[in-house]
Amino acid sequence: MKNRARHSGDVIRKVSKLTAVLQLFSVGLLLGLAFLLADISNRYATLQGGIRENALWSVYQLDRETRRLHELLHLSLAKNDLQLVTLKNIATRYDILYSRISILEKTNFENQFALDKAVDEKVAEIKQAVFGVVGTFDAIAARKPVDERILTEIDAILEKAATKTEELLLHTNNAISVARAENRAEVLGMQIKTGLLIALLVCCVLFLIITLRRQLRSVKRAGLDLEDLTNKLVESYQAAEAGNRAKSQFMATIGHEIRTPLNAILGTAELLELAPLPPEILPGVQTIRRSGGALLEIINEILDFAKIEHNRIEVDLRPVDIKSLVESTLDMIRDRALEHGNRIELVVLDAFAAPVVETDPTRLRQVMLNLLSNAVKFTKDGTVTLGVAEMVSAGTLRLRVEIRDTGIGISQSSMDKLFRPFSQVDASISREYGGTGLGLTICKQIIDAMGGQIGVQSVVDEGSTFWFEIPVAKASLPLEMEIKDNDAQLTLPRLKVLLIEDNLVNQQVAAGFLRHLGQHVSIANDGLEGVQMAETEDFNLVLMDMQMPRMDGIEATRRMRVIPGKPAELPIIAMTANASEDDRRLCVDAGMSDFQSKPVTMTQLRSIIARTRKITKEQASSSDFTPETVSTTDSDAFAARRAEMVEALGEDVFHELLASFFHDAAGVLAHLRGALAEGDEEKSDHLLHTLKGAAASVGLTEVASKSQEFRTSVLTAGRIQDLERIVKDNQKRYAA
Amino acid sequence: MRLSIFSMRSCVIAMSLLLSVGGASALEKPTGDVILTITAAHLEHPNIDGTAQFDLNMLEELSGRSGEMETPWTQGRVKFSGPLLRAVLEAAGAHGSTMKVKAINDYIADVPIDDALDLDTILATRMNGEPMSVREKGPLFLIYPFDKDPGLYNEKYFSRSVWQIKAIEVTP
Repeated sequence: MKNRARHSGDVIRKVSKLTAVLQLFSVGLLLGLAFLLADISNRYATLQGGIRENALWSVYQLDRETRRLHELLHLSLAKNDLQLVTLKNIATRYDILYSRISILEKTNFENQFALDKAVDEKVAEIKQAVFGVVGTFDAIAARKPVDERILTEIDAILEKAATKTEELLLHTNNAISVARAENRAEVLGMQIKTGLLIALLVCCVLFLIITLRRQLRSVKRAGLDLEDLTNKLVESYQAAEAGNRAKSQFMATIGHEIRTPLNAILGTAELLELAPLPPEILPGVQTIRRSGGALLEIINEILDFAKIEHNRIEVDLRPVDIKSLVESTLDMIRDRALEHGNRIELVVLDAFAAPVVETDPTRLRQVMLNLLSNAVKFTKDGTVTLGVAEMVSAGTLRLRVEIRDTGIGISQSSMDKLFRPFSQVDASISREYGGTGLGLTICKQIIDAMGGQIGVQSVVDEGSTFWFEIPVAKASLPLEMEIKDNDAQLTLPRLKVLLIEDNLVNQQVAAGFLRHLGQHVSIANDGLEGVQMAETEDFNLVLMDMQMPRMDGIEATRRMRVIPGKPAELPIIAMTANASEDDRRLCVDAGMSDFQSKPVTMTQLRSIIARTRKITKEQASSSDFTPETVSTTDSDAFAARRAEMVEALGEDVFHELLASFFHDAAGVLAHLRGALAEGDEEKSDHLLHTLKGAAASVGLTEVASKSQEFRTSVLTAGRIQDLERIVKDNQKRYAA
Repeated sequence: MRLSIFSMRSCVIAMSLLLSVGGASALEKPTGDVILTITAAHLEHPNIDGTAQFDLNMLEELSGRSGEMETPWTQGRVKFSGPLLRAVLEAAGAHGSTMKVKAINDYIADVPIDDALDLDTILATRMNGEPMSVREKGPLFLIYPFDKDPGLYNEKYFSRSVWQIKAIEVTP
């Protein structure tokens, strides 16, 4: 492929060179032709300039007049007829001869023969002869008597002159003949030259045409080759892209799969720490928790990077109270700083031009957290300072954040490597401090997407200062948004919520949460039912499961979006366990407003409702509802879920739900064995999905994750047995 | 016979002209040396023997022009002046299509009458204000307006530029 392209290129280059040479040659020939034409036109001009009395004619006339004068005089002398009339005639003939001589004299006749000495001499002799006798003829004109002797002398002079004029005539004739011949030869030469040049030119043009044809053919071939190449490249690119996508999908899945058990480990470790433990065990548990935490961070970074690499970062702007954002971020890092013996300082310039600005709080927090955790990580018993300032440069408001530490610092040569993916300053760092080396890359990507700059100054052993600046716009918090998301006293509106969910357990959990949050809930069992309900009733919010029998969430959303007379901004929020980028894109394409990963927690539901409130303020009823504070800890997934559900639904309902889950699970597992026996993969996948969803809903993460795991691998009887064992274990543990 | 009829007819024409137009249009007789004789099959204003004969004064009284120009027969710029050829033909009452212009040395050139009517061709009597002798190609020199129209400067008109003119014969 490459060779073919190179060959085509070579052919084109070679032919191009030939064409260039031919063109040069043609230009040379054309120049030659132009010179020739210029020469010809010059010659013509001289011919025009040289327009003069015909030399031969003049000499002939001179000869003739000399002879006539001589004849007349001779005859008159012979007849002895020297009357006045005769003399007068003779004088007139002399005058004519005289005028003829003066023609030779006055015009540029001589120029033609300027170099011919013989002509000069002859003309001079004739002139001398004729002008020498002027006195006699003047006398005749004046009617004075003239001696016959003088006339006889003149007769002799004229006779001599006549021979001279005859010689001159012959000489002139010869000279002109020679000149004419030379002229003809010259013209012929020029014609031959011109002909040759034209012939060469024609050859050149022919060559050019042939070469151009060849070139065109090569270009066409090369073009086809290139097209071919492009197609192949596109194919390769698509293959690579597909590979990359698969990789991203895989990473997302793996990340998900790792995070779930990790959460369990962390939760368990945290619980263990709280329990009375022998002092020799406690440090070990703490190590487990810390390492788990580090592992989680790494996984999160990798997942983030995969997402960023795959999709451009989308910046979601909303009004943010900078000071409270900064404070809450610092709170998140404080514990870790204390562990390293670091002091945390916050330097906020109070004179903020705009305390509330338009920016993406999640991204901003992510960057700050990343830089802060780096600062904390590389500093021991020192100070980490977070400085925030606003400034106006070039007419735009900019937010500048500086994170200064007194840590190990970075050498000048290593600073270039920062912000590049997978590059830690040096290998020893990664051994000593751990980390993926992706954090700063992610920060840079985010800051770039926000249109800002990020940078670092550092002195080895003294510390580093990481800073970033982003353009922001002054904003003000809408009244109802001033309540922070994590404010316990959140006032929620009462919305009409349509919950579309096929799994009974999920249905009950979500509906219970929603009711607990003071919402009016309607339930649809699948997409089709949901669409029908949306047609007849008005809702403020739709929560949509993705995988459902009869009609899935995507199709249902599409249909809902085209129901006439429904507000276009009706929020439809997808709920799915597969939080991959592709799923997300599918959701957006179908017309969904947002995306919520499953299992849904009460906190998430609360923020969804709070966000919806703004959109549907007019439609929502005014009877606000104040829920109680809900505190969730991540220590144990089940414990958290259980607490949340007990909170929302009551202990009895929760146990009922749990019981109904285990009851359903037994049925599902029985069906699963049947499906395996029948070899119906689709059915078994669906059953596993159902099991997973329900288990996640009641907080049985182990069951959920195993079900998911078996969905992606080959299902065997042994695995079903595994699942059964886990379900039984859980039942023993929780439902007893 | 033919001759007598011819002469009779010309007499009649001459008489009728005299009667109808009076003496004003009749060509006066030359008083000085005759330098130009115009002949034609029939002339409207003959003055001597059925021909129109002119002396220098008669010619210079006719409307004319002068122009400075270069010619192949002179050196440098030369001023020629004299009566317009068409004025001379009109004075003689000569009509036709061609003129045979004759020189003293018996050189004859055929000149179309249009050269006289369409071009400001003159019978130059003076060169640089001086009358021209035979030695200076005088007394009359047919000069085309080379100064007005450079396109005339070629052999075609050179051969028609007769000098030492003594007579013009107008042919139908």
